[in-house]
Amino acid sequence: MISVSKLLCDLDAEGDGLRYDAADESTKRQIRDEKQRRPVVVWNVTKQCNLYCDHCYAAADTEIADGELSTAEGKALLDDLADYGAPVVLFSGGEPLVRQDLEELVAYANEVGVRPVLSTNGTLITEERAQSLKDAGLKYAGVSVDGLPERNDDFRGVDGAFEGAVQGIENCLDAGLKTGLRYTITERNAADLEGVVDLLTDVGVDRFCFYHLDYGGRGTEIVDADLTPEDRRQAVKRVCDMTREYHDRGEEIETLLVGNYADAAYLVEYAREHMSEAQAQRVYEYLRVNGGDPTGERVADVDYQGNVHLTQFWQGYSLGNVRDRSFGAIWEDESNPLLSALRNREEHLTGKCADCRYAEVCRGASRLRALTVEDDLFAPDPQCYLEETEIHGSPPFDTGENSVASGSSAD
Amino acid sequence: MEEFDHEVDAPRGATSREWEVFVREDTADPLTHVGSVSAPSTDIAREQASSLFARTAVTLWLCPADETQRYQTDDATLGTGNTGDDATMSVDEMESETLRGENR
Ligand code: SF4
Repeated sequence: MISVSKLLCDLDAEGDGLRYDAADESTKRQIRDEKQRRPVVVWNVTKQCNLYCDHCYAAADTEIADGELSTAEGKALLDDLADYGAPVVLFSGGEPLVRQDLEELVAYANEVGVRPVLSTNGTLITEERAQSLKDAGLKYAGVSVDGLPERNDDFRGVDGAFEGAVQGIENCLDAGLKTGLRYTITERNAADLEGVVDLLTDVGVDRFCFYHLDYGGRGTEIVDADLTPEDRRQAVKRVCDMTREYHDRGEEIETLLVGNYADAAYLVEYAREHMSEAQAQRVYEYLRVNGGDPTGERVADVDYQGNVHLTQFWQGYSLGNVRDRSFGAIWEDESNPLLSALRNREEHLTGKCADCRYAEVCRGASRLRALTVEDDLFAPDPQCYLEETEIHGSPPFDTGENSVASGSSAD
Repeated sequence: MEEFDHEVDAPRGATSREWEVFVREDTADPLTHVGSVSAPSTDIAREQASSLFARTAVTLWLCPADETQRYQTDDATLGTGNTGDDATMSVDEMESETLRGENR
């Protein structure tokens, strides 16, 4: 998760506390060097969903699926995550609100000291549920909208889904719940990006997370609908431009990019071209400490049956199951050659990533996309949109010790 | 001696059939459990496990998760809560609860 607004507009908003980073932001050179950092854990509490989105990584269904963790097991899992020191649990799905014990689980997470946040399609957030989630101690709701009404509803397979999501967002805001947008950018909806931001800022939303498509779950079927590298570069540039325009007008929206750490490299290039060399250096420093793609390190996923995955999008492979042993034991077990290779991926990356000058801030971006498209875990991310001339050469800056720290991860 | 009197029998395989994966990195090494893959058939499970482990492994075993009996001493698991307690909305409830912007 890369904060465009922070990097390009020096935003120091309340949102920093939402970066799901338990570590003190002022602590220099935390994280990467220490390898101590605990992951943000996405928990797909159910596979069930009231919508049927084209790109659903969890391949959600309308019917209840077998083997969902019970309320009691869920609380035991939260105890387990608290013991391990996971800073944040992101309740996700399916659609997490179809679980009527969600509030109970959110309250429990709060009680044991794991910050509860939510990823939802928004269409089940009635006034009552917005209030009960707020009362339970929910800290943030990220609501998915993937285009202006027509496109969004088409994507989500339900008429009125856009209006329903906006209604859900309004109910959250009325209940005093910090709420943001999740927008997965694809070829189909890239054109709606600014329109959706304009529309939702009018509703009162001030935090926008733009996701690149990862190729897991139902998403693999729409690899073809993903942006070309050129279009991706344009879309990311528009996010940068738009963020600066809003800030220039005094509207301090927070914008974030998620799911493709080639963005980190691009942001440095963008700052250099459109701002200044000094800004570019500052952006680079910040991102260097951030540490690049977090898969298998700073993010983790537990599915509704308790299987532990490397990210929420990588559902086809599980490291183990929390019904067999604790999350911490699974996550720490580097006798698993895949886990240890991913954590030392710098040694294994091939092709242009192997000698990319931005490798330190990117780390080869998504290994899942490389695996899905190239059938090679350490091939370059097919979504990398940097130009050859940007990739080659010595590291863009001499890196000093006085770095600023950044946060990680999913929401 | 501990009795393995706690069976872990909840279903696995969030997206399709699940296959437990075991590898040996050298013929002298023990076989190690390295997680599981989701795949509809043995062939696809083999392909998927290969793409993840063929770099380093010399032996691959795949074992259907639903054919695996798991026992452990009971203090090792999440607890004995019933799986799938009825906490989840029915299809009808989801349908009637879904907002479509009616009151906006
Ligand atoms: S070449 Fe590889 S490491 Fe460099 S920006 Fe692209 S994906 Fe990242």
